[in-house]
Amino acid sequence: MAFAKPSIKRRLVRYVPSITIMVAYSCIPLLGIRGFWLDVLTRANIFALLTLSLDLYSGTTFYLNLGISFIAGSSAYVVALLYRYLGMVPEYSIIPAIAVAIALSTVIFLPSIRVRGVYFSVLSLLLPLIMVSLITSQPLSLYLGGEGGIPLPSLFSSYARMLPPRERIPFLQLTWFYLTTALTIVAAVLSYKLAYSNFGFMLRAIGQDEELAEASGIDTTRVKLLGFLVSSTLAATAGALYAAIRPPVTVDVLIPANTLVPPLTAVILGGMGTIIGPLATNYITIVAYELLWDAIGRWRTIAYMLLLIVLVILKPQGVVFHIYLKLRKAIATKLSSVTWR
Amino acid sequence: MSSLLVCEGVTKRFGGLVALNNVSIEVGKGEILGIIGPNGSGKTTLINVISGVLLPDDGRVIFDGKDVSKLKPHVRVSLGISRTFQGSRVYPYLPVYYNVALSARSVYRDPEIARAKTNWALTVTKLIAEAVELPINLTPFKLRMVEIARAIVTNPKLVLLDEPFAGLSAEEVEEVIKIINKLNNLGVTFIIVEHKLRYLMKLAERVVVLNNGIKIFEGPPSEAIKDREVIQVYLGGGVS
Ligand SMILES: Nc1ncnc2c1ncn2[C@@H]1O[C@H](COP(=O)(O)OP(=O)(O)O)[C@@H](O)[C@H]1O
Ligand SMILES: [Mg+2]
Repeated sequence: MAFAKPSIKRRLVRYVPSITIMVAYSCIPLLGIRGFWLDVLTRANIFALLTLSLDLYSGTTFYLNLGISFIAGSSAYVVALLYRYLGMVPEYSIIPAIAVAIALSTVIFLPSIRVRGVYFSVLSLLLPLIMVSLITSQPLSLYLGGEGGIPLPSLFSSYARMLPPRERIPFLQLTWFYLTTALTIVAAVLSYKLAYSNFGFMLRAIGQDEELAEASGIDTTRVKLLGFLVSSTLAATAGALYAAIRPPVTVDVLIPANTLVPPLTAVILGGMGTIIGPLATNYITIVAYELLWDAIGRWRTIAYMLLLIVLVILKPQGVVFHIYLKLRKAIATKLSSVTWR
Repeated sequence: MSSLLVCEGVTKRFGGLVALNNVSIEVGKGEILGIIGPNGSGKTTLINVISGVLLPDDGRVIFDGKDVSKLKPHVRVSLGISRTFQGSRVYPYLPVYYNVALSARSVYRDPEIARAKTNWALTVTKLIAEAVELPINLTPFKLRMVEIARAIVTNPKLVLLDEPFAGLSAEEVEEVIKIINKLNNLGVTFIIVEHKLRYLMKLAERVVVLNNGIKIFEGPPSEAIKDREVIQVYLGGGVS
């Protein structure tokens, strides 16, 4: 029995479906889809970043980071505060905001060096809630915008002002769609590569038996920290984009029902750690939600919760098998250099 | 004989329980040391202290002339200490190949070397045919082999085996012993923990007997079975 390395042609063929989907998705505006639905897809792109963030770290290590609302909220608030106090427009503040949010996110990570499992999740969930109370509490609300939030000019609005009034909103919607789509594609490809790389498997090993991983040579603290930082970068990018595209920035972005429950549903429903599953589920649930608005209306969160409960009861087992099937081929290739009887 | 590992007065407490009480052992380069003792005597705890899974409350662990007492387990692996776990521990949802390859990759930065080393470890343990399987589909014997492959893939100087023969048939035990001897001939040092003395008789030149966290005997296995205190400890359990 011997395995041959797949030819370059066959390897290219493997990428055809995913490239087709990415190109087709980017071409959606060419079909004449504008306005409301373009906004929905832009929002779905931003939530895709949150979903990738959650799946890349929590889907592999099973350290359920319920604090992504805190990371996204931090970068959104930094974008808003940089405008309020320094007059910096989002074009310039997005990158520094992401950097600040990544630095703040380490507050979530620190306990995970010692605290495992459910305690980590509980601690991570407390942070966004503490932030909400701080922002809406008496002395601080004056500086942090309180309930009303912080207004700021949206991303690229200075360019839009150069256009005739009627073209401004369509221009912004189109630009935002393309920007978020491009970022999501880059993030999705990188997340996928990472999740199925040696590094990704080290994260999975940690999720399956952390003590074994450490005792067999894996620097678990370093691997977890790196994985967490990549994950935080994605969540922080989502938060900064959300602030820049949908001002004003309010505590809504920090509330887990808004920015944690949808990606969490996508990750669990789509298959933890598979990247593609949660990504697809993110788009399906957001579009389905808009289509079903009349039927579900304001019951979205409850609908998500019910879906989650049903899923937890049903416990889809296919996920592990999917990853495993993927691996069989990869291993066969790696073993091809050995001769055996 | 120069020492590869020295444990100096190692003490480990769990609350009020003293699992290891001022235990000192020395292992020479290329030696096979057996550690026996009844259940709960502290054998696994000693392996945990040497591999860094637990830190001792007192005493030092010196490996290859270097004090490693405070180092994390993964650092000790890179220095050359590998271990297996009692009852076999594996990543249940990762194929055998990755169970072994991830350890290789954590020690060898060069992916080509890591891959070659993985293939070597899988060949030595006769696991090539099972490389794509998930651990769930393996027999206890093959699982034990996965652990051994994972332990030897990092090019260790010292391998700690915690009850490697438990639950195996006589032929399977022979297979494991063959691999131990093969690696020992290549210069790898072993510490083998066993509940019973039988398998260590022909394998180990020297055994340490633990009881209630205290070292009660040290010497050749043939003398251990004659020692009054050892016989006392094993009364009812049976030395062999
Ligand atoms: N992590 C732990 N926490 C508390 N007690 C422990 C722990 N590990 C071992 N022990 C106790 O220490 C003693 C020695 O255990 P162990 O080293 O596993 O013995 P052995 O391997 O010789 O059977 C036992 O009484 C056991 O209950
Ligand atoms: Mg034990």
